[in-house]
Parts: sequence; C-alpha cells; structure tokens
Amino acid sequence: MPDKALWDSCLTFFRDSLPPQQFNSWIKPLAFEIDGDQITLTAPNSFTMKLVQERFLPEIVKRAQSFFPGTPSFEFRIGKKSSVVPAQKPRTNASNTARQEAPPAPKTSKSHNKLNPQLSFENFVTGKANQLAHSAAIQVAEAPGTNYNPLFIYGGVGLGKTHLIQAIGNHVRQENNHAKICYVHATNYVSDVVRAFQSKKIDEIKQFYNSLDLLLIDDIQFIADKPATQQEFFYTLNSLTDGHKQVVITCDTFPKEISGMTPRLTSRFSWGLTVAIEPPELEMRVAILLLKASQSSNPVTEDVAFFIAKHVRSNIRELEGALKRVDAYSRFHKRPITVELAKEALRDLLASQNKQVSIENIQKTVADFYRVKVGDLLSKKRTRLIARPRQIAMCLARELTQLSLPEIGAAFGDRDHTTVMYACKAVENLRTIDSALNADFILLNQILQN
Amino acid sequence: MTQLLLNIAPEWAPTLDNFVAGRNAELLSALRHALAGTAGERCFYLWGEAGSGKSHLLQAAVGQARARGRQAICLCGALPEAVLLEMIAVDDVETLDEAGQAALFDLYNRVRESGGMLLVSGAVAPAHLKLRDDVRTRLGWGLVYQVHGLNDGEKARALESHARARGLALPHEVAQYLLRHGRRDLPALLAILDALDARCLRLKRAPSVPLLKEVMQPPEPV
Repeated sequence: MPDKALWDSCLTFFRDSLPPQQFNSWIKPLAFEIDGDQITLTAPNSFTMKLVQERFLPEIVKRAQSFFPGTPSFEFRIGKKSSVVPAQKPRTNASNTARQEAPPAPKTSKSHNKLNPQLSFENFVTGKANQLAHSAAIQVAEAPGTNYNPLFIYGGVGLGKTHLIQAIGNHVRQENNHAKICYVHATNYVSDVVRAFQSKKIDEIKQFYNSLDLLLIDDIQFIADKPATQQEFFYTLNSLTDGHKQVVITCDTFPKEISGMTPRLTSRFSWGLTVAIEPPELEMRVAILLLKASQSSNPVTEDVAFFIAKHVRSNIRELEGALKRVDAYSRFHKRPITVELAKEALRDLLASQNKQVSIENIQKTVADFYRVKVGDLLSKKRTRLIARPRQIAMCLARELTQLSLPEIGAAFGDRDHTTVMYACKAVENLRTIDSALNADFILLNQILQN
Repeated sequence: MTQLLLNIAPEWAPTLDNFVAGRNAELLSALRHALAGTAGERCFYLWGEAGSGKSHLLQAAVGQARARGRQAICLCGALPEAVLLEMIAVDDVETLDEAGQAALFDLYNRVRESGGMLLVSGAVAPAHLKLRDDVRTRLGWGLVYQVHGLNDGEKARALESHARARGLALPHEVAQYLLRHGRRDLPALLAILDALDARCLRLKRAPSVPLLKEVMQPPEPV
C-alpha cells in the first residue's frame, strides 16, 4: 500500500519536526488517499487547507516524489474524512475533442492529448522561413497517410512548430469528424509509456496508439536517452506508417543531429519528408504582429510593428509578448500606440537585450565558435580561415547592434565601412548556397540572443 | 529588569495595497485587472533584482485571489505536477529542477488553453533565464514586467507606511539615518525597523537615532 507508506512517512516527519500542538491541529485531521497517480488531501475546513498548502505541501510533494516515478497530481478537498465534498476546481478541459474520439483510451497523465482549435492554417503567418514546412503540412492535412509519411518538422523554439502540427490535426478533424487524432507532447508520451510499463498495461497503450489515424508528436527530442520509450515509439511509427496512417513529428533539430536516439529511429524519421522552420525574417515578423494586432481593439500601425519586429528577433513568442506589453502600456497610460510609446513600453526589455549583444560579445562568440582568436578577427590576415568568421561577425554586428557601419568597421581593426558592406553582402549570398554556413549563422544568432 | 513583550504584534501580510508602487504602477494595475478578471492576459512573468518586491507581489496576488474565494498557492523551489488550483504563483523560477520545469511547461499550456492564472518570478529577463528553451520562451509569451526597486524617497515612504501599520511614529530623521546607513534593499530595512519597534516597546522609549544606532550595532561576539 504505497499510500499508507507515504502518509506514514509524512506523519513521522511532521511529528518529529513540529511542536505537538501544531501537529495535532494541522496534520492529524488530514485525510490522505491515493488513486493511481492522484493524491487527494482532505482537510476539515478551508483555513486548515490554506495553511497546509502554504506550509506543508512542498514537504509532502518532496516525499511523494520518492514514491512515484513521476510527480503525482494533487487534489485538495474540504470535508470529513468519510464524506468529502470536492473543493472548488479551476475551469479545465474546455475542449477535449481528440480524446473523446480515441478509444480504447489508456489512462494518460493529463489533458494533453487534445487539439487547440485556435491553432489553424488560417492564422498561421507564412514567409520565407516556413514556406516549405507550411506547404508540406497542408499537403499532409489534405491527404493524410499518402505523401510524406512521417512528416518531420524541425526548428528552434517558439517558431511555430506546434501551431503547424496542431493546424494539421484541426484540418483533418474538420474534414473527417470520425478520424482518430492524437496530439501528444513527447514528455507526456514518455510518462504514458513509463506508467503503462509499471501498471503492466503496455498492450493497452500500444493498442491506443496503433488505432490512430493521425499521430502528432511534439518535441521528439525529449525521448532521447530513453531506450524503452524509443522502442515503443519505433513500433508505433512502423505500425502507423505501414497502415498508411499519418505521423507528424516535430523536433528542435535535424534527425541525424539528435543525440541519444537509436539510429534505426532517426533513419525512420527521414523516410518521409524532413522540413525546417527557420527564425522568421523581418517582414514575416511584421506580418505576425499586424495579424495579432488586428485581433485587438487597440490598433497598431505598420511603423510600430516594424519597430517591435526590428528589436525582438529571437522567436515568435517573445514577439507576441512584446506586443502585449505595448498594448498594456498604451491602455494603462490611455495613449494611442505610437513608435515613441512602444519605445517607452519596451525600454526594460531592450535594455536587457542590449546588455548581451555588444560588438565585443559578438567577436568573442564568433571567434570561440570557429576556434580562432579575437585578435585574428581584428588583424589584417586575409586567409579564408580568418576572413570568413570575420565577415560573419561583421554581418551579425550589423544585425544585432545599433552601431553604424563605420563604427563596426572601426571595431574590426579599423577597417573601412565599405568592407563591412562587402562582408554583409558576401555572407547573405553564401547563406543561400551553403547550408552549413547558413546553419552556423542561425546558431550564432541564437546564441548571441540567448 | 527588561520588559518582556507579549507576542501580539499585528500580523503583517504582503498585500497589493501595502506595496509601494514606485515605478511599478503599471504592473500593479495589470495585476489588479488580471485578479479581477477584467484583463485578457493570465500569464505574468516578473523579474528584477533581489529585494525589488517580486515575492511581495506574488504573495499579495495569491492572498487577494484567496480573499476572492479562489484556490491559490505560492510555491518556490518545487512545483507539483498538475496541481488543480485556479491561481499558481512560482517564485524564483530559476531554482526549479528538471521535473519542476516539465511541470511548469504543462501548467503554462494548461493555463493558456483552459483558464486560471499563472504568476512567475525570476531574477532576469525571460531571454536570459537558464531554463529549458520551451519553458523560457513561454515565460516571455505572456505579460513581462521588470519590477523596479524603489529609490530613496520611495523607500522612505515605504518605511513610514510600514511603521504606521505597526503603530510606530517614525521621525523623519530616523528614517533618513536608516536609509543612509542601512543596507539598501527594502526587506533588510524593514527588518531593522521591526527590530527598532521591538526595542522601543521593550525600553518604553520613542524611536530615535541613538536607539536606531543601538539596533544596528552588530551583535557583540560571545
């Protein structure tokens, strides 16, 4: 009986660490039950409940973690030990369409196997950075299981991978209401498999995943270094693709680059189509902002969108966060949104960014990346081994700092501003023909922007 | 003979009303709107230096949510998976371990999709947090505010208001001395003020600079 052992250990701990009066008042009246991975704590009144949550819950959680493989979920109730009345619960599970359609439903850990109806193709902004992934996703959504199976979408965080695969799910559901669709984040998939192994219900979970028409699995890199889960996923992937059922996978990197993943799985990932989503370019960031702003009652002009997009470059979530901040600032001060106001609203954010991206920081990061010395970057040497990193560093300095071209030139061993212009142009051209250099550039950009 | 004090000092709890706003008026207003349910955004990330008032705001918001009859909790250092509460505040997010970060990731997604309110605090802006990338970028997705510490004038006002709440009349020169000679973070200043109050009661004397100096003396080695 794990519940008895766990609660006994909590009781012993609190009895030893608390004065008897406190123990008798707060801990003793609690009722403790375990149902699967859910722990229910029942207190006689809301005051005791509040106090227990504030003062004793972290210790109970800590102890519970050593009894459960994952972290159990907690529910708090108020009432007598025998007849309990559920305490007020938050609003949850507004729509659980995907799970309702998916028999035989195994006991999955949370309400995660569901589609968010707000993530559709209609509100997905496309640009050069995600064009290919977008058209592949549309093709897959229109004819699941026929082309590109599995569809493997990779790219950095906050670039719209989840939006895209959820849009596939929503489109398929729209076309065929009876389709069995499951969206699952890889960490939840791992917990489901672990839980199934523990409760000896692995067949149930197999049956569930193999019965799907469309499996959308997000952030597959989280099953790295988990061989048993990888094996399960390998079988599921084979079974679904063999049965012409569609599988869509997202990942933060190219299949071959995922470390801790069995080669037979990474090679399967590449069987269908592998497409990248790159960080959005300026025009796309502006388009995203204008689309988001059009859904609000507080209008945003193009020049404001350009200002925000120029300064928030790393990912779409932070871009949306910045827009929200500008909107909140404008409402609080009861002033319309202008570039001036956006500057004021984002002052803290921009100041924290600028701290990071100094030209010295760029030179150091690029030099470390290519294993050359910063001194070489600033020297007159013109061998390709030195010149290429120098050009990349100059191009990054133009993108990431507000320095003028003559200032950038001066910071690189007193070079002329035309040299900087040439370097930027050369890097831009090289990025279109040399994919390795393009990947290096994107990576450096992300490192510098944290 | 030393006067012993009865432990009946009024219990001080952080609230949004006793937070001296300083340059954080917009943040305070945003939190009030979110708690009243009159704002669209339900996920907040507050960052700033230690002592700037992040924990005060988190606890105050949780207190207010509870006063409105909601289930709310403020956690630090650990985050249980799938806590069924309407409002969760996570203080010092950078102290979360791998399991805590995974729980925060799920919690964030759940709050965005289904409702509730999430308030997270950390020492640095979201982009500089040393957390899982998908957690870090999510924290930057909601409303992000830097909590600005108070300047000296605002600190003096905060000290006076804290003293008033304890029924202590703080002379201006005592407040000024404390600001000039004490540590510069508000929690430390408030702790000295509490010690001064206790000493005044014990000695039955009004607060004064000499008494404050005694309180601020480092304890003599035993």
